[in-house]
Amino acid sequence: MNWITITTFLPLLGAVALLLHGMFWSGKREQERLDNEYRWLTLLITLVTFVASIPILLNFNSAQAGPQMVTKLSWITSLGVSYHTGVDGLSIWLVLLTTFLMPISILASWHVHKRVREYMIFLLILETGMLGVFVSLDMFLFYLFFEITLIPMYFLIGVWGGERRIYAAVKFFIYTVVGSLLMLVAIIAVYYINGGTTFDIVEITNNFSANRNTLMSVPVQRMLWFAFALAFLIKVPLWPLHTWLPDAHVEAPTAGSIILAGVLLKMGTYGLMRFNLPLFPEISREAAPIVMTLAVIGIIYGALVAMVQPDMKKLVAYSSVSHLGFVVLGIFSFTELGLQGALYQMLAHGISTGALFYCVGIVYERRHTRLIDDYGGLATPMPQYSTIFIIVSLASLGLPLLNGFIGEFLILIGTFTSDVPYAKLFTVLAGVGVILSAVYLLWMLQRVLFGETTNEENAELEDLDRRELFGLVPLVILAVVMGVQPMRFLNETKATISAIKQQVEIKGAAKVERAAK
Amino acid sequence: MQVDTSSLLNSLNLDYRAILPETIAAVTGVVCMLTDALFSKNARKACSTVAIIGLVLTLLSLFWLWPSASATNAYGGMVVNDQLRLSFSFITVLASLVAVLLAIQFVRDEGLPQGEFFTLILFATAGGLLLCAANDLVTIFLGLEIASITTYVLAGYRRGDARAAESSLKYFLLGAFSTAFLLYGMALVYGATGKTNLTAIQQVIASDTLAFEGARGVLLVGAAMLLVGFGFKIASAPFHLWTPDVYEGAPTLVTGFMATGPKAAVFAAFLRVFTIGFTAPGAALGDGLHHTWFTTLAVIAVLTMTIGNVIAIAQKNIKRLLAYSSIAHAGYALLGFLTGEFASVAFYMLTYTLMTLGAFAVIQMFARPGDEKTEINDLAGIGFESPGLSFSLAIFLLSMAGVPPMAGFIGKFFLFKSAWDASNQSGSGILKWLVVAAVLNSIVSVYYYLYPIVVMFFRPLAPGYRKPQVGFAVTAVLLLTLLGTFYLGLLPNRVLNAFNMPVKTVQQAQAALK
Repeated sequence: MNWITITTFLPLLGAVALLLHGMFWSGKREQERLDNEYRWLTLLITLVTFVASIPILLNFNSAQAGPQMVTKLSWITSLGVSYHTGVDGLSIWLVLLTTFLMPISILASWHVHKRVREYMIFLLILETGMLGVFVSLDMFLFYLFFEITLIPMYFLIGVWGGERRIYAAVKFFIYTVVGSLLMLVAIIAVYYINGGTTFDIVEITNNFSANRNTLMSVPVQRMLWFAFALAFLIKVPLWPLHTWLPDAHVEAPTAGSIILAGVLLKMGTYGLMRFNLPLFPEISREAAPIVMTLAVIGIIYGALVAMVQPDMKKLVAYSSVSHLGFVVLGIFSFTELGLQGALYQMLAHGISTGALFYCVGIVYERRHTRLIDDYGGLATPMPQYSTIFIIVSLASLGLPLLNGFIGEFLILIGTFTSDVPYAKLFTVLAGVGVILSAVYLLWMLQRVLFGETTNEENAELEDLDRRELFGLVPLVILAVVMGVQPMRFLNETKATISAIKQQVEIKGAAKVERAAK
Repeated sequence: MQVDTSSLLNSLNLDYRAILPETIAAVTGVVCMLTDALFSKNARKACSTVAIIGLVLTLLSLFWLWPSASATNAYGGMVVNDQLRLSFSFITVLASLVAVLLAIQFVRDEGLPQGEFFTLILFATAGGLLLCAANDLVTIFLGLEIASITTYVLAGYRRGDARAAESSLKYFLLGAFSTAFLLYGMALVYGATGKTNLTAIQQVIASDTLAFEGARGVLLVGAAMLLVGFGFKIASAPFHLWTPDVYEGAPTLVTGFMATGPKAAVFAAFLRVFTIGFTAPGAALGDGLHHTWFTTLAVIAVLTMTIGNVIAIAQKNIKRLLAYSSIAHAGYALLGFLTGEFASVAFYMLTYTLMTLGAFAVIQMFARPGDEKTEINDLAGIGFESPGLSFSLAIFLLSMAGVPPMAGFIGKFFLFKSAWDASNQSGSGILKWLVVAAVLNSIVSVYYYLYPIVVMFFRPLAPGYRKPQVGFAVTAVLLLTLLGTFYLGLLPNRVLNAFNMPVKTVQQAQAALK
């Protein structure tokens, strides 16, 4: 038993505890009191999970590129499936991001009054699923966790969502399932190509990087790359596969949105870096101009659509499409800076967008509307709220000294120095996206927080209560810390990132040589 | 001519141990009948207790036979004890056990005659077990008839209900029709080969020593008729048309039973006839025959899964939806059939049996006595009103859709994997295309499996909903099927190994029996 396994399965145990609590120890207490017990219990579980994840960071050796703190137990022997988990530079921060965001999203769900127990159980199962995705070092296990995240999210949207929740939930499910089934086919194909004995990601990656071109032809590699990429790019989501995201975000409850934007989308970009780049570097290089084009379209399109949204939540959702475009751009620049930036942007986006969704949720809870036009002049009645909202928006739009800046800056430099065709053009266009994101976020702030109080209801709004402060302040602190002390975070990821970069680099060069012959 | 009795008996190998499970099931059936007569007051409790004890004993006898599994023949080769028999028998008994547990509440709530139900299920089990063990066309027919006739009666058990009567009559007529096909096919195969024993038939085909000149055509026609007959019984397209009506009209628990236990048993016989009897690689005749049925079944498999899945999308009734889904699952199982490897088919049937029985158990509860509420819209909003039942149903449906970590996922995974392996070994590309078709089909199926979940959890509750009373036995069934679904999904090793044990030599098997 090491800390990774404990962290991964603690939330699941917590879910079981909640289930049993509701079945056997609920007694004759009133529903309201019981619900409170569920909330506190879940908060406790997620906090304990967060604490349990800290030793992973403390024991992490940043000089080592490969996976660490590995557990490997044989599981389904006839298939060669093992329970193989560990963390490396790619996953370490994502694990912590997940455990960190969870207690906050529990705080953000305090106002949920419908079926609290089931709600919390789904959130906890979701946490185990997400952690499992990041720590799995076995493709079968990875797929298992990847799918497990789907079901709780589906219920969270479908049961606790807004008006069009059924449409959004089914759309979310179908989009993701189509992608992941294709990925399953690709995983099985990779398993066979590798000899049909193991699903181990580390072994397969090593074997592929040594003998990739003797094991399979280039068209096969292209097909497999495509199957993996499609699953992950739907999840990211890359334009034009993004249409499920605004629906899901708008309909999901606040906690669902925080987790969806904060962690679930990162499973896509994580997958790209874990599978597509190391397994098929040549194809990745080949596809880079196309993917980057789509990413840039996504950046600009997302920003433009965000600008005209009357609904705050939809605005933040489209800003996610835009920001995740940056991440994809950074990944496919194949430069160390670009990849580092992509990873950093993943974390930064998780923090700042999570906070943005939280902020939107807070006023929605008070006024039951998310339309920008219904607000105005909130700065007067809600000074604390406004301060925090402004800081996280500035973080999201990439103001220096806040976390968004570091990621975007690294990505832009990385892309500019990349040897992918048209990379410089992409950088310039993505730069336009940075400006646009300033436009839509600032414009929203202006309309929501400043100006005259047009609606009398807004003048009476209460400022943040203690619970909301507890949820938001850690996010703000982290946004600042990540903005001024980026090396703290980047050091841990450096070794793994440069290993990935080398894999892409060398194989790319080999291909150029072959072409020259 | 003097007949040496003892040597004849020796050659027949009258090994009672080999038919122990069948014997126990049949004897329990008889005891159950007597119990019904003796305990007229407490017939339901007494009969169900007898039935449960009998089935548990049957299960134990199967486990007892397991270590000695080999290709040993008993009764002159009419009965065989191998992995195929044991694994499918296990599934059959499991389905019966669940059906008996469900029936305890069913016969009480509906005020139906109490003792016969259990007796009928036990006889159906005996027939199913015989089907699994049969290695001779005659024994197969015997088992099939015992299993079928009891199931016809079970389908019409709710005598006062017009739907059940229709279902039963339809099932009977079409079942009799398909049995005629089977019997005719058997006769033709016997005519062509001069044998009824499957191993003997295989030898005849391998050595190309058919009974007479031109018997080749007769053999082919016979095989085709067998295919049609079995195709009817397992509800594969295009012989599936009876299924939705029969499944909808029969009492829910009978539907669940029909769709699993007897079906698995027929699958076992189907597998044995074709992959043992009609598979004689190497010989020209054998290869030709194999090629013919292989291609036909490949087409049938794709048709079955596609038709099942596509039509299921349009269903408004949950029982019809599951009927079409069971057609689709038969299509997937046929894909495993084509690999000639029993273990993956058996494992798939086991996962299918657990999910299907679990789902029908929930539906029986929701449908109320008399099966009044079986429209999907009747389920609206009940998700959190009866969370235990609804979440169970959701889990079974998601498992059928192939979502991990439930059994349905692993079942499909092994099935597709074994098809892919077989394709690599034989070098024929057909199986790979079948796998592709099956994967695409699974994607389609996700849509309709989600629909009842959407209705249950995401829609508002219809007024006038009363919580169904879930008895102890039904709770036990749900626990069993749920745990089984997760157990097979997460730790499939043990069961897979048991289904997949290498065949032992006769000596080893005999030693193990002693």
